[in-house]
Amino acid sequence: MTFVLLAISLIIFYLTRAVLPPTTAAAPYITPRMNDDMKLNVAVSLGLATPSCPSWEAFSTSRAGCVMPVWGQYVGWLRNVLQGNWGYTLLPGISGTETTWYVFASRFPYTAELAIAGALLTIIIGIPLGIISATHNNKWPDHVSRIISIGGYSMPTFWVGLLLQLLFVLYIRINGLGLLPSNGVLDASCAICVANPGQISMFTGVPILDSLLSGNLPYSWDAMIALFLPTVTLALTSIGALTRIVRSSMMEVLRQDYILLARSKGLRERVVIYRHALKNALLPAMTISGLIVASLLGGVVVIELIFSLPGVGNAALVASQVLDLNFLELYVLVTAAIIVIVNLIVDLAYAKLDPRIRY
Amino acid sequence: MNQLPTKTADPEEVLRIRELTVTFHTYAGDVKALDGVELSLHKREILGVVGESGCGKSVTALTITGLLPPNAEIVCGEALLNDVNLLKMKSSEMRLARLKDIAIVFQDPMTYMNPVMTIGSQITEILIENPEVFREVVVTSRLQEIDQLEKSGLISHKLQQERSHLKQVLSHGNLSKSKFRRLGQLYVLSYLRMVRLPEPERVLKMYPFELSGGMRQRAVIAMALIRKPKLLLADEITTALDVTVQAQILQLLMQLREQIDSSVVLITHDLAVVAEVCDRVAVMYAGNVVEVAEVNELFQNPLHPYTQGLLASIPRPDSAAVELKSIEGSVPDLISPPSGCRFHPRCRRAMDRCSASKPRPFETQPGHLVSCFLYGE
Amino acid sequence: MRYMRATTDRSRRGSDIRYALHLLRGNPIVLAGTIISIASLIVGLLSGLIVDPNSWKHIDLNLRLCWNNLAIDWHIRNVFVCSGNSYPLGTDAFGRDLLKMMILAIPLDVQIALEVVASAVVIGIAVGGFAAYAGGKIDEVILRVTDVFLSIPSILLAIVLLVIVGRSLTVLTFAVLVTWWPTYVRLVRSQVLSEKEKPYVETLRVLGAGGSRILFGHVIPNSIYPVLVQATMDIGSVILTIAALTFIGFAPSPLIPELGNLANQGIRYFFTAPWLIVFPGLTIFIISLGFNLLGDGVRDIFDPRLRR
Repeated sequence: MTFVLLAISLIIFYLTRAVLPPTTAAAPYITPRMNDDMKLNVAVSLGLATPSCPSWEAFSTSRAGCVMPVWGQYVGWLRNVLQGNWGYTLLPGISGTETTWYVFASRFPYTAELAIAGALLTIIIGIPLGIISATHNNKWPDHVSRIISIGGYSMPTFWVGLLLQLLFVLYIRINGLGLLPSNGVLDASCAICVANPGQISMFTGVPILDSLLSGNLPYSWDAMIALFLPTVTLALTSIGALTRIVRSSMMEVLRQDYILLARSKGLRERVVIYRHALKNALLPAMTISGLIVASLLGGVVVIELIFSLPGVGNAALVASQVLDLNFLELYVLVTAAIIVIVNLIVDLAYAKLDPRIRY
Repeated sequence: MNQLPTKTADPEEVLRIRELTVTFHTYAGDVKALDGVELSLHKREILGVVGESGCGKSVTALTITGLLPPNAEIVCGEALLNDVNLLKMKSSEMRLARLKDIAIVFQDPMTYMNPVMTIGSQITEILIENPEVFREVVVTSRLQEIDQLEKSGLISHKLQQERSHLKQVLSHGNLSKSKFRRLGQLYVLSYLRMVRLPEPERVLKMYPFELSGGMRQRAVIAMALIRKPKLLLADEITTALDVTVQAQILQLLMQLREQIDSSVVLITHDLAVVAEVCDRVAVMYAGNVVEVAEVNELFQNPLHPYTQGLLASIPRPDSAAVELKSIEGSVPDLISPPSGCRFHPRCRRAMDRCSASKPRPFETQPGHLVSCFLYGE
Repeated sequence: MRYMRATTDRSRRGSDIRYALHLLRGNPIVLAGTIISIASLIVGLLSGLIVDPNSWKHIDLNLRLCWNNLAIDWHIRNVFVCSGNSYPLGTDAFGRDLLKMMILAIPLDVQIALEVVASAVVIGIAVGGFAAYAGGKIDEVILRVTDVFLSIPSILLAIVLLVIVGRSLTVLTFAVLVTWWPTYVRLVRSQVLSEKEKPYVETLRVLGAGGSRILFGHVIPNSIYPVLVQATMDIGSVILTIAALTFIGFAPSPLIPELGNLANQGIRYFFTAPWLIVFPGLTIFIISLGFNLLGDGVRDIFDPRLRR
């Protein structure tokens, strides 16, 4: 696991520092008011420029002997990171430039909220859909479910999200307000929203959880309403993969001999499917959990953009435009870490659930 | 001209299959797997059904249990289990029939058991899923057990209490779920002992892959017997086992015969198994029953050319002949089978009429039926 | 020494086709998918003939964001009505006919998708087959490398590459390819690993066939079916990824006729000119759907486990 993360960090680091101009890495620490000498001092203190570098200009044009070797930079960066220091970011925090970690951490709960809601919805709809598809193979429930899952799988995320917004914000209106809010953030201008929900206290940073914990139910209602469309958009595009694998896995299991025996024992069909078939079918389906999580975390980026959610995906897009390397590095590594951890958990769960895999 | 009785005049007859015709619709064409199968089974007898692979033995078994795949069509025919036509039952009735009346044991217990469930749970679930059906049986069995313990002098106050409680349950009928579960387990254990499984309590908690082939097969047999079925179908149950284990399982069948009240259909391709265990034998070829007789009669006096060929092709260690005899030709393609008698292309004594029409079963002696124009219509 | 080719003989191929037709007959959805995919390919090939390939460079700001197709009423106040020609799908932010831009965009997307998928398949076969056959340390290393790439969502990796290397169509293609090849390496590897164990391989070895001959002449052709299925469906997925990337804003230039790029203009004008998002998105959806349905059908044909 650590190998993967180290490898990713190395690749990204090397690409960013070696390919982009050396001034990019120094950007969050430089203000326009600094003169060139001050800028050079900053660069040296960051470990980007060698002490023997004559001028800022020499540094920015990468004159030989002016830029620290990338490997050295990496080691320094790694040392910092392992102590929790991710440097500064160009992105606005609450008050001007903040540490990368702080900006990331304050935005992360919004992304997590969306991703988890999307994952839950995907599972709740995807698994039953796959089961129905398998048990009614080639009859109309199968066809309908295949249309939904393959259709959802083929839809561009931005298209679905924006169409839903068109529908529920622009076209379906009650009393002059759209049915649902157009933002993922609290934007109390929607027909079924509560107008002034009041305040909540911060526990986790996740609006829905915090409002529930604060006992402010109208606020949590608003938060859930606001999250509704983004979640549906996210789930719609992920359901396809899950349904497809549940379907094919279930169909394979239903062909097995032990299903025939289970039926021959006089068990009700429902018991046969849910007790005998499902457990065996879900085991292989679990193996793609990592891929599903990856696609969820990728989809979150576009959704945060079109729904103006203050999450890390949105921030990453801004970071990519202003070339904020610190933020991008942190973002990629956290995403990769999540995927790796999910894969690990799935592997452990699989070993636990399948009695054939022991010792 | 002898004709088969059209109604079950014989009170001893448990199963009567008449004119059973089954076709499978595949992308390659229609496979006419069964072509008018005629079969009868008497109470408490062991009927062997022999034939080559693909002759329709398993299909017959699957048809009468209602377990055919969706692309199968029962074109015509009936299967009467004590005068009730199994083929015309609704699926819910069929499920109950599979639960109480017909049990089927398959060939390879490794693939036929759920790999992620323990043996115990796979057997006890039959009981637990159908408490109304098994309540009485389970309680009665436990009462008998307690009586046995009393006879051997192992009675205790606790057991006596249990006995009176159970007697109450029998008359008033209120058994808690957990008690039922426990009684069910004891009931299953009694059957595991009956099939001679060592350490039955341990076996309950084991997974299929932890047992040997022979033990698994015994467990599956217990799974079948526990329902006290009227009809037990054993589809090639010894084929996947090695010879010594095979012998053990057959011996078990013979021993169980006294204890159980079921009629057994033993499907196999191995004539030796048939000779050892069965009372009567039915020989099948390409979807038809070609000959039925008592086992000794069949081996001493085979009438149908196919049966004769089969028996002649068994290698004899004492014969001086070097070459193995075989039936010339090969098994017919069931998508476009031969017309008339399906064996006629391979039959040395085929006549013109054999390709024109199909022979019907003819009784040459009481109990010996042949479907061949050589002997009658 | 001649030996029999230990793969499908003609009768199996014949029955494959028969089986395929049987499935198509019973499966109108797959048929629809096949038709759509073929249609997109045809439109892609012929687009240069239907629309002037250079028309995307002609900007007319007087005609920007207007709509004059009376068939659809957007119920938006102040929709700008175009003068002059009829624009069935309206105009974009540069005053160009949206329909024409979309027709020009289709071959671009399909072409990039085909390039990416074809390259990924080739790399997958080469590296995956090699890894499976070589085994041991080499296999382990290659597997770890794919692990690394599969731990980053494809969009993110592509974004990082585009940020670093710059925006051009080549980089775009390459960035998407980089995120796709690990899947194929893994797929081919696992297929080859299971084929390797089959008895006919040992037979071939005994008959004197060399390693690479076995690998490329027999094992890989027999492992190819799941790869084909994956590749067909991936054409759709790649198109989605490219569109998403250009939608976010990573197209080389805002003018380039590419479906996601056209939609990108629509973000700003969403509530005043929704057609900019609706129609390019719809096209992406239809094309992707076509290839996904086709891939699903191909899978049903070739998956031995689902066979009758």
